[in-house]
Amino acid sequence: MSTLVDFPVRPEARPYLDAFAQSTGEPEWLARFRRQGLDRFARQGFPTRRSENWRYLDLQPLERQPLLPGTPGRDLPLPTELLLEGAALRLVFVDACFSPVLSGLSGLPEGVWLGSMRAALAERRELVSTIAVDSGAEHPFAALNAALFADGFVLDIAQGVTLDKPIEIVHLVGDAKASLHTRSLVNLGAGSRATIIETYAGTGRYWRNDFAAWRLGEGAALARVALVEESDEAVHLGEVSATLGAKAKLDGFVLLLGGGTVRHEASVALTGDHAECGINGAFVVAGREEANIVTSIDHAALGGTTSELIKGVAAGRGHGAFQGKITVREGAQQTDARQTSRNLILGRRAVIDTKPELEILADDVKCAHGASVGALDEAALFYLRARGIPSDEARRLLVEGFLREPVEGIADPAIRDHLLRRLSLRLARLEDE
Amino acid sequence: MLQIKNLHARLKDGREILKGIDLTVEAGEVHAIMGPNGSGKSTLAAVLAGRDGYEVTEGSVTYQGRDLLAMPADERAREGVFLAFQYPVEIPGVNNMYFLRAALNAGRRHRGEPELDAGQFLRAVRGKLKLLEISEDLMQRAVNVGFSGGEKKRNEIFQMAMLEPRLAILDETDSGLDIDALRLVARGVNGLRAPDRAIVLITHYQRLLDHIEPDRVHVLQDGRLVQSGDKSLAAELERTGYGAVDAA
Repeated sequence: MSTLVDFPVRPEARPYLDAFAQSTGEPEWLARFRRQGLDRFARQGFPTRRSENWRYLDLQPLERQPLLPGTPGRDLPLPTELLLEGAALRLVFVDACFSPVLSGLSGLPEGVWLGSMRAALAERRELVSTIAVDSGAEHPFAALNAALFADGFVLDIAQGVTLDKPIEIVHLVGDAKASLHTRSLVNLGAGSRATIIETYAGTGRYWRNDFAAWRLGEGAALARVALVEESDEAVHLGEVSATLGAKAKLDGFVLLLGGGTVRHEASVALTGDHAECGINGAFVVAGREEANIVTSIDHAALGGTTSELIKGVAAGRGHGAFQGKITVREGAQQTDARQTSRNLILGRRAVIDTKPELEILADDVKCAHGASVGALDEAALFYLRARGIPSDEARRLLVEGFLREPVEGIADPAIRDHLLRRLSLRLARLEDE
Repeated sequence: MLQIKNLHARLKDGREILKGIDLTVEAGEVHAIMGPNGSGKSTLAAVLAGRDGYEVTEGSVTYQGRDLLAMPADERAREGVFLAFQYPVEIPGVNNMYFLRAALNAGRRHRGEPELDAGQFLRAVRGKLKLLEISEDLMQRAVNVGFSGGEKKRNEIFQMAMLEPRLAILDETDSGLDIDALRLVARGVNGLRAPDRAIVLITHYQRLLDHIEPDRVHVLQDGRLVQSGDKSLAAELERTGYGAVDAA
């Protein structure tokens, strides 16, 4: 298909162009959208570390050894320990494809549409065609995702409808040796509410490229938790693009516990007055893992609030980074934005970068940010040891105590406890690495 | 129980703080070590508990027949040495109950006893909380975080009551306490007096000794124990001050 392209193609993008196959049976707008995405990616190629937004991540291994889109995998056994206990609504994707067998969607209330992107293309055509607008235009991998996405999920809730039960989305990969592109859409009508937990896990080598667009109408509330426990050979790039209407409330949380190279990016635009944006998260890196949390929050309307707490722990030769930008536009008076990045380094070869950034163009705002990187508190360590707790256990207690703070802020008790358990298990393994 | 012989210790910067301490504490006894600021009281407590940052240059410490100084801090604690901190450390994110159960079970494992589960532990906790008038919700918070000064000190004694040490060293536990808190702390300590347990009270003032009657009182001055006696020595010090000892 590369013959379609009449501009210089970045060499690392070439294999993906060659692998691009026009899907048959897709609507014309989607075919066009895919081609536009492919063209954009071909022009941009992989971001380099010279690009400010990508400076902390090393993507060269992926550039050298491309992972092309794979064929749909077979169903895998569900890893029960990764599942939210008692979740009634569950969508499972295996190698980026929806698995009806593993999913359970019974008892959806009136006014809630939940299903795979493929099903939505048939049943929710008008809504889904708007994804061509929310395309993450400047993001090279969102462009590639547009070209190659296999499936994803769509949640569409009508005005005023509250979904009490959390929705669980499980993204599994079974040693795919391929790239897996998923694209999802969450559309919340005015005053509606939903809670989503998305879990990403797999085995072997693969590249996951996940893109999601969230649109929150006036007064809508979305709580979304992402739990990332990918394989240590995996590359995980997640990108969220969210728009908040007036008085809408977003509670985003991300817990990065595993994966060779993991980057989680959230771009949030507060376009309606008095919207609330909460972005919290934590990462743990060990071995040679890399994890980045990148957030970009754009206050474009009056009286919006942002509250952001990101904590990181790096052990072994792990490398973690947080890049957080908050922009307050000229008209966005009475914005109240707080951003905190706290980090703990365990071991001499671990590295953490943190880069908070505020850009304020309005004069009547409250903005604060803080960042720290430090070692374990020796006084606290001695206190625990002086009570008989062995050194290793004392260290683990302190690290866990450090990371629990953002997790404990999760409102849904079942999700909170689930994440605290996963965190504990991850830290128990940290000592061996 | 505890024999300290000619103990010399210095800070990492080379300053010598302990300049030859000799002290023997037998099981069942309560000893008070009194002294002015800077005399080495807290250093003695820190060296006995195994805190980093001090170097023992001479002398020995034998605890229950073993070389105490050769044991890491956590092993000393599991062997029954308890230090009540002068400044209890705040540990955000670590739940008090969780922490204390980990500590208790570390000791039980060490002694080959079965660990307590959450229910058994809670029952054990409740009785002792009452003794020190500590509210249960304080236990659900992070270790010492948001505790008042008095609550922190009572929490130290509560931990001591839970861990049931053989040798308890209380480093200025009375400092910063009002009279009601002092009484509570004293009640807690007195409740722990036992024939198989030794208690060392380190204090600047005599007032704690009005509530906990020591068997022996020692005066620490410039890194040495310069005077020892029975409880009347404490009262004398209160009258005359440490200056008089210096002159003597």
